[in-house]
Amino acid sequence: MQLNINGQTHEVDADADTPLLWVLRDNLGMTGTKFGCGLAQCGACSVLVDGQVTRSCVTTVDMLEGTEITTIEAIEQDDVGARVVEKWVEHQVPQCGYCQSGQVMAATALLKEVAQPTEEDVRAAMINLCRCGTYNYIKAAIDDLSGRKGEPL
Amino acid sequence: MDMIKGLIPGVDPQDFTHGAPVNLSRRSVLRGALGIGAGAMVLGFGLPSGTARAQAAATMAPGSNVPAFLEIRPDSTVRLLSPFVEGGQGIFTGMAQIIGEELDADPSSFIVENAPAGADYLVIGGQMRITGGSMSVRMSYPLMRKLGASARAMLITAAADQLQVPASELTTEPGVVIHAGSNRRIAYGDLATAAFDLPVPDPETVALRDPATFRWIRQPVKRLDVYDKSTGRAEYSIDVTVDGMLHGAVQHAPRLGLMVETIRNRDQVAALPGVHAVEILDGAVAVVAQRWWTAKRAVEALEVDWVEGTDLPKGWRALPADFSSDAFAQELAAATGPETEAEAHGDAPGVLDAAQTVISATYHSQYLHHAQLEPPSTLARFNPDGTLDLWLPNQAPEQYQAAVAGLTGLEPAQINIHSPILGGFFGRHFLYPAASAYPQAIELARRTGRPVKVIWTREQEFLRDPMRPMAAVRFRGTLDDNGMPLAIEAVSATEGPTEAVYGHGDSVDETAVEGLSKKAYAIPNLRIAQVYVENPVMLAYWRSVGNSMNDFFYESFLDELANAGGQDPLALRKHLLRDTPRLTKLLEAVVDLSGGWKRGPFTAEDGSMRARGIGMASPFGSEAAAIAEVSIENGQVRVHDIWEVLDPGAIVNPMLVRQQIRGAAALGLSQVLMEEARWDKGEPVARNYDMYSILPPDQMPEIHVGILESGAPIGGVGEPPLPAVPPAVANAVAALTGKPVRRMPLSRLRFDS
Amino acid sequence: MTQRPDSPLKKRFSFAGIALIILAGGGWFVTRLPSSPFDGAAPQATPDLIARGEYVARQADCVACHSLEDGAPFAGGLEMGTPLGSIFATNITPDPQTGIGTYTLADFDRALRHGVTPDRRRLYPAMPYPSYEKMSDDDISALYAFFMNDVTPVQQAAAQSDIPWPLNIRWPLALWNVVFTTGQTYQTDPDQSEQWNRGAYLVEGAGHCGSCHTPRGMAMNEQGLDSSDPDFLSGALLDGWFAPSLRGDGAAGIGRWSEDDLFAFLSQGRNDHAVVFGSMTEAFNNSLQFMTDDDLRAISVYLKSLPGQGPGWQAQPATVTSLVEAAQSGLPGAETYMANCAACHGRDGLGQNEWIPALAGATSSQGTEPASQINVTLNGSGRVVADGMPDSYRMPPYRDRLNDTQIAEVLQFVRSSWGNTGTPVDTDAVADLRMRTDPASVAPIVLQMR
Ligand code: FES
Ligand code: FES
Repeated sequence: MQLNINGQTHEVDADADTPLLWVLRDNLGMTGTKFGCGLAQCGACSVLVDGQVTRSCVTTVDMLEGTEITTIEAIEQDDVGARVVEKWVEHQVPQCGYCQSGQVMAATALLKEVAQPTEEDVRAAMINLCRCGTYNYIKAAIDDLSGRKGEPL
Repeated sequence: MDMIKGLIPGVDPQDFTHGAPVNLSRRSVLRGALGIGAGAMVLGFGLPSGTARAQAAATMAPGSNVPAFLEIRPDSTVRLLSPFVEGGQGIFTGMAQIIGEELDADPSSFIVENAPAGADYLVIGGQMRITGGSMSVRMSYPLMRKLGASARAMLITAAADQLQVPASELTTEPGVVIHAGSNRRIAYGDLATAAFDLPVPDPETVALRDPATFRWIRQPVKRLDVYDKSTGRAEYSIDVTVDGMLHGAVQHAPRLGLMVETIRNRDQVAALPGVHAVEILDGAVAVVAQRWWTAKRAVEALEVDWVEGTDLPKGWRALPADFSSDAFAQELAAATGPETEAEAHGDAPGVLDAAQTVISATYHSQYLHHAQLEPPSTLARFNPDGTLDLWLPNQAPEQYQAAVAGLTGLEPAQINIHSPILGGFFGRHFLYPAASAYPQAIELARRTGRPVKVIWTREQEFLRDPMRPMAAVRFRGTLDDNGMPLAIEAVSATEGPTEAVYGHGDSVDETAVEGLSKKAYAIPNLRIAQVYVENPVMLAYWRSVGNSMNDFFYESFLDELANAGGQDPLALRKHLLRDTPRLTKLLEAVVDLSGGWKRGPFTAEDGSMRARGIGMASPFGSEAAAIAEVSIENGQVRVHDIWEVLDPGAIVNPMLVRQQIRGAAALGLSQVLMEEARWDKGEPVARNYDMYSILPPDQMPEIHVGILESGAPIGGVGEPPLPAVPPAVANAVAALTGKPVRRMPLSRLRFDS
Repeated sequence: MTQRPDSPLKKRFSFAGIALIILAGGGWFVTRLPSSPFDGAAPQATPDLIARGEYVARQADCVACHSLEDGAPFAGGLEMGTPLGSIFATNITPDPQTGIGTYTLADFDRALRHGVTPDRRRLYPAMPYPSYEKMSDDDISALYAFFMNDVTPVQQAAAQSDIPWPLNIRWPLALWNVVFTTGQTYQTDPDQSEQWNRGAYLVEGAGHCGSCHTPRGMAMNEQGLDSSDPDFLSGALLDGWFAPSLRGDGAAGIGRWSEDDLFAFLSQGRNDHAVVFGSMTEAFNNSLQFMTDDDLRAISVYLKSLPGQGPGWQAQPATVTSLVEAAQSGLPGAETYMANCAACHGRDGLGQNEWIPALAGATSSQGTEPASQINVTLNGSGRVVADGMPDSYRMPPYRDRLNDTQIAEVLQFVRSSWGNTGTPVDTDAVADLRMRTDPASVAPIVLQMR
């Protein structure tokens, strides 16, 4: 089957119910998208499908033909994504970094949906787990992106 | 070997050894010449034989062999092989700051990777190195400064040679050697090859900078790894690939100690498309396949009959089929037996026995998962020359190297340990029996004759992740006429992680009692003891180790005593610390940070009833104090704010310290609020985050951070902020509800709003 | 949070009606041994017959109750909680002391089709003899041949029921049988095709589909044992699960399913409408999938012939499709759905092809009985193993991540979105099921027959 990933068409040989995550990581060697739980519980595997945040560990590839998939590898090619990365660096968000591909994708999807999300929007949308506890930093970075710059942490 | 000799004239492949003096400058020039980036693909080809390596044994003191650590590239960027593993704590940046300060190179010009296994990197007391115990900076600070200074001295010597001037006429600016007299400048990159072929100066003779002139140490230098970590470029063990690699997935026996009797459908599964092999391993079955997803599905399809194993691998604890953690908690609470004293002064038992009123309570802690977000993996590759390359998450390369040597019969020098950055660790990646994928990956690579990368699913990880120990602590306390503690006795029924991993001896295991013992409070009569109770499950270190639970016990019981004596908990602590200026100051600092002490209960602006609690801890050479503000929402505790001040004596990077305080506080909060690894009928109840909750974002309060630099000897940072948080929360809940909280996690208790 | 009871997987039957019956009846009738066509007959044991018997054992799903995951096949042990106490499935291996080793073919027949043991004790109708009585003589003797010759004898005494006296007196069940069983093997309907009749034979007989899917009366009797009864397979609550209608009911039944859909569901455990879950997973893993395509086809034909009632599901577009929209909507449960369910079941509730079931239009999303949805949300679902391969995706338990109110609200959202017409969910019902149930196993479970 054919998948459109980061603006390129990839011919993929995989069973219909293979999760996108493993097609990305193994078939295509795109390891920026992370495996954390495989059960839609953590969000480490988040990608964008047609601009919406999607947990790739539970998304079957047969659902994705004809969609546009964006992964962390191409996040800076997206204007919003590039701004998110810039703020992630400015606010020094990551610690171990393992959850951060997913966090950046979630933040990008949020800002694509709502250019200036309220605190309540941020609370609702940013639900990925981070074991290192970078939540305060994530919030600070998105607040900044939403025009609510506070004291840097 | 020949291939390399042929490719780069004059380069002896012996330079490729690990764990021996290696001229990294040349080695990396070679890499550059080959057009190979740093990382997985380059290491391990053309490695010399064991004999050649043995001849190249280390002769310099660990931590002093400059070329083993540093390479300066033609563009003057500095590649550092860090002796400590980066797993989120920012140690790469910290090391770049410390070394850069003395080398006179901007930390931002550093590229840092984890060092391989080898004697040069045994920088902790010249004996060992691990990444843990919050030791990285405090144990290596002087050594790493000297390393940077030595490198600078070598660059200056090389420049003196090149410019034909006395070294004393040369100075440096970041990345450049300067001869002011002739106004000549040479970039480090142009000197490195010559400089790093020079003998390394005696570290004792090199001059260090006056700390007053520090430009990077103590500054909030930005982390070197955040861009890569924000864009998916950072490479973890789970991401590493090599040519010709196959993927392995395992199904562990439902209980440790069971072994495979038969696989009923081995042939059918082996015949599945993409499946390369079905293998029986110690306490596990494995499928090796073209793709990991294929292997994972196939291994789940295996129908395995398990039997109680005989002759288990060393260190494995066969778990009883009826093991239940709830029952074990009861057992601990009732455990009698020899009490090994950890600390005693005055006559606590005598005073307590004679006391009119004794306050007694039994406290409980729970088993915990590390739950680091990156599941364990190992990539193993045997090379044609008999050496073995391993890529695996680890906090102790030499320990793994030695273990693999024992397992395979190879010489340590034939085993190349690659330590990619860690997707979280918290103590998970020390060497624990049965808890790592490396024996499996090695065995599968050996049997298939191909490199194999084994990845554990979260479900398989939660079946083998060793636990933070449980404890039941029996407290007795009594008060003097002023309502102040006169005697405290704490007897903890537990097993420390150290004795669990390395064997139980006669003396008390520090990691079992730390946080109960060595509290700074002036209690006239005190006795802290341990009743050793071996755990049926495998145990491990967990961030802040014994302190993670013991400070919860002690600080919460202290609040019980304060209540019994009609004392305010802050006033009580101040009284008990009246002769300890450092901690008095710390207490004042955290109270100030929180805007002044108000215990409550009080009504907050949003109408909710709230209260605050305080907790203190002295872990890993640092001091911490935290205040938490809580309310009850839908019968559960909500934490609104945490104020925490850490005094690690001195710091290297305040930004990193703040990050660690927030991260450790989050983990402490997660523990006290919701985490518990329950076992029932010999199996873990939770096999993924569905049933093992870790702190989600909407439960994260704002963590307000303060740092004190008392000037005391430099202490740890990564773990110390954790232990003060659980008791701060528990004491706040007790203040709000009027009932002491004697067990974690709070989610197992119900509170009326 | 309260502590969960540390109980094994339990099947719960409610035998409230038994008490009534105990008050009635008496005399020789209740202790007599019913006659069997096999009285005095010599059993056969050809390899063909034994093989056929093994297949009949699949049809009858004997393992489901008489084997435990970690026990020997057919050695018994499954605990079935009842309001009166627990009963335990017996050892049906041919062990002479503790099993059925001394049973003659006639004894075996009487136990299977009449619920009477050789020592004249009456079996509780947890044993589905009201269905099994429809099985043919040939199938009974084949089954006997299999159990006696191919099942390994295991010495393992059945655990004693803890139902107290006098409720543990079983002879009144003889009277129950008079009222609630027909005493007849399956009677072919000459107006229907051979295929239909085969399907009916399997569904009404060995398959005992009605045990779960037919509502029960006061005395725990199935209210309808064949296609002539409109209550037959019209959906029932049992053991914390609502086994939906297998009739052609619009929204609540399988009216929307084609015969092919049904066949796919029975043979693969999944189709574009649904995936087996709850107790059906066990029936599928252990038995259903091992039936021949012909038999599964016959079952499909038969079930599709059962008339139904009520309008079909009318799809409605999703009104909320993202976390932010959900939060802004203020709709109870919407945010919980988007955060916890949408990743798999879709922001639009439509699931992912046959891999992950749609909640939009699902039978469990309609009607007045939300037990299955509560149960599967609290406890997840067991792994579906088809053709030896466990499913790629499992439904995780949410009992730890969501409280009773959140579960009630999220189900309320599901049951009122996308055209679904289910009734609201009561928080107390969630709390009650939370107490009574345990999370599903993460490991694939297929019970072994040998
Ligand atoms: S890996 Fe997909 S949500 Fe955790
Ligand atoms: S940064 Fe480590 S898990 Fe989030």
